[in-house]
Amino acid sequence: MSPHDVIETLYIWTPFLAGGFVWNIVVALLSMAIGTLLGAVLATLRLSGRHRLVRASLVVTALTRNVPTFVFLFYLAFLIAPEVQIGSLSFVFPVWIKASLALAIAVVGFVSDNLADALRHWRANNHTAALMFIPNWTAYLVIIVMASSTASVIGVGEMVSRCNTVVASVGNNDLMLWIYLYAMLWFFACCYPVHLLMRRVKVWIGRGLDKKAAAKAEAAAP
Amino acid sequence: MVWQRGAAACLALALLLCGSMPAAAANRLDTIRARGVLVVGVKTEYPPFGTLDADGKIVGMEPDMAAALASQLHVELRMVGVTTSNRLQKLADGTIDVLIATLGDTPQRRQIATLVSPDYYASGVNIMAPASRKLANWTDVQGQTVCSTQGAYFNRPMSQRYLLDLQIYNGVRDAMLALRDGRCAGWLYDDTAISEALGRPEWQEFTMPLPSLMVSPWAIAIRQGDDGAELEQAIGDQIAEWHRSGFLLGLERKWHLQPSRYLQQAQALWSQRSDGGAYVCSRTATGDWPAACQDQIGRGAETASGLQKLGMQINDLTGLDFSFIYDGYDRQSFLHGLLLSIGLIAACVIGSISVAGLGAITVEARLPLISRLVKAAAIFCRMTPPLLQLYVVVFGIGAFTARWGVTMNAFIAATACLSLYAGSACMSALTEAADTIRHDRPEFRLTWAGLPGAFNLAYQPVLASLVNIVKATGMASAVAVPELISSSTAIIAERGNSAVMMHVLMALYFVMVVAVMHLLTVLHRKMVRHVAA
Repeated sequence: MSPHDVIETLYIWTPFLAGGFVWNIVVALLSMAIGTLLGAVLATLRLSGRHRLVRASLVVTALTRNVPTFVFLFYLAFLIAPEVQIGSLSFVFPVWIKASLALAIAVVGFVSDNLADALRHWRANNHTAALMFIPNWTAYLVIIVMASSTASVIGVGEMVSRCNTVVASVGNNDLMLWIYLYAMLWFFACCYPVHLLMRRVKVWIGRGLDKKAAAKAEAAAP
Repeated sequence: MVWQRGAAACLALALLLCGSMPAAAANRLDTIRARGVLVVGVKTEYPPFGTLDADGKIVGMEPDMAAALASQLHVELRMVGVTTSNRLQKLADGTIDVLIATLGDTPQRRQIATLVSPDYYASGVNIMAPASRKLANWTDVQGQTVCSTQGAYFNRPMSQRYLLDLQIYNGVRDAMLALRDGRCAGWLYDDTAISEALGRPEWQEFTMPLPSLMVSPWAIAIRQGDDGAELEQAIGDQIAEWHRSGFLLGLERKWHLQPSRYLQQAQALWSQRSDGGAYVCSRTATGDWPAACQDQIGRGAETASGLQKLGMQINDLTGLDFSFIYDGYDRQSFLHGLLLSIGLIAACVIGSISVAGLGAITVEARLPLISRLVKAAAIFCRMTPPLLQLYVVVFGIGAFTARWGVTMNAFIAATACLSLYAGSACMSALTEAADTIRHDRPEFRLTWAGLPGAFNLAYQPVLASLVNIVKATGMASAVAVPELISSSTAIIAERGNSAVMMHVLMALYFVMVVAVMHLLTVLHRKMVRHVAA
């Protein structure tokens, strides 16, 4: 394939691939939503002060931290039926929801740990330190967006699996290197700016913390 | 309030998970007619039986059969692409109603799905190899590395009979690429697919010199439990009609297949009439076909050992198939997968730590250009999905190195990619630790001697990255490293025991992750003592 052919093919298929990337974002956002919800429950329980609840929450958090997401993806794909029938009603359980659930497991552990920290700070009136949760959460979203590419192995039509579809349709295997690199570029272009921005945000919040500490020190000074 | 809402969501999720057991459809045909759509699983990468055309539409001989079947049932057709490794799973879990996907009719498969009689086509297994190999006999490939596809019925008998060292790929495309790139001596597959491939210009230098083995008929499959139901009858009658009318022979011509003896014989058999003028092959009072019209599927009487008998008894009693314990072949491939996974984990952990240490020292050395390049490379590795990195290295770069005669080893490639991904994250933790140290000692530069101190300071994020990479080692299955996930899904494809295998897989991975964490904690403690001393 000449470079011109490669560029032309990539150009033609870009809308199709971009559609796949939307799925990456959808899966990532959904798993962040599910994971944050469940993680928030765990974090609240951890701070409930009731010994048993705290223990239970810590055990569940440790469990979610050690579950390998990639294996869990296969686990859900194999063990959940795509169409669940209860009586005469049938619920569809599409594969992208399975992928979101699998990725959500990792998010649960992350949110449980980080939100518990943030809530502690908040209650101690360290509001600025608690705000650190926001850039941390967003940085984790970036990781999950990249992890959403693994959903291709269970058949979610996201970007990586659409790359494979394109290679199969074009019928030229020389395209593989270029199309995978092109897809990589998409992920990089989406994730790197967010990563940089969140680093900036962290520095801002950190400065706020320094100012506060300085103010405190001034106030404490006679 | 937040709490309650969260708890409610938890409950909803739990309900979803519990309610997910496959519900038995009493009469699939009624369900299909009620919904007005027949969902058929077909291949998308097996021309001319099932492939994608330029518009991304699924076309081929089997899609044509699916369309004829749907119009016969007066419903719409929806086709779902399946692969050799997931087709029976998709049938079992209800994603598809009917499977028309080059499925060879074997006794084992008849145990996990309902294979509709009569069969509609036949093929044997053969090997495609570079012409330069000059194969004359099947014994010539004995002991050689041969590429194959996950879930193919001939993997097990062929590897046992000819002692082939099988390298199992997820899809036909990947297996063929591996053959082209010289990663194996030949490609083991259906003779129909091989003769199609040999017609393409890029395979000019390859041949199929050996006689086909294990010639087996192909069957349309429906879900087990739909046994003897109307759907099976309807499809069976339809196939018989196709044999009689020459519809299948017509499709064979339309898709430029070699004329197959099987179809000619089938047409003669199914068109035979008795003296009374009725077809000889018509349903008996019980609704079955006469024995003479059924394809004779060899019910290979394997001699079962004591352990095997026990395992089969447990299977009969509980429905749990622990074939990876009692069956010699499954056990061997499972243990091999386990060992390979452990090896991969060890290699990735060591690799990540090395990448992190070397990278951090290089960046800290502030060499002109080189330090910057390392830093940029690390950011790129961290900000792109490791699965894509794996594809780029194995399929993209592998294709180029193959032209210079260098073959890409998938295990090494996987180790390299995963180590780079996790190593870059660890490296950034190390350089941040160095920044922290510089707060107190502005002249500090991270060197070999300062590494243990920096690792100590960055212990938490480094540990998190390492644990993450342990969890991600399963990704190597995507490029045919026969590790634990690969071997488990291969066993499921053959046995249909997904519940047992998936639970065992999760448990084993969980234990491995905990073990690695424990090991790293011990190591860290030792290092702390060393730094203090």
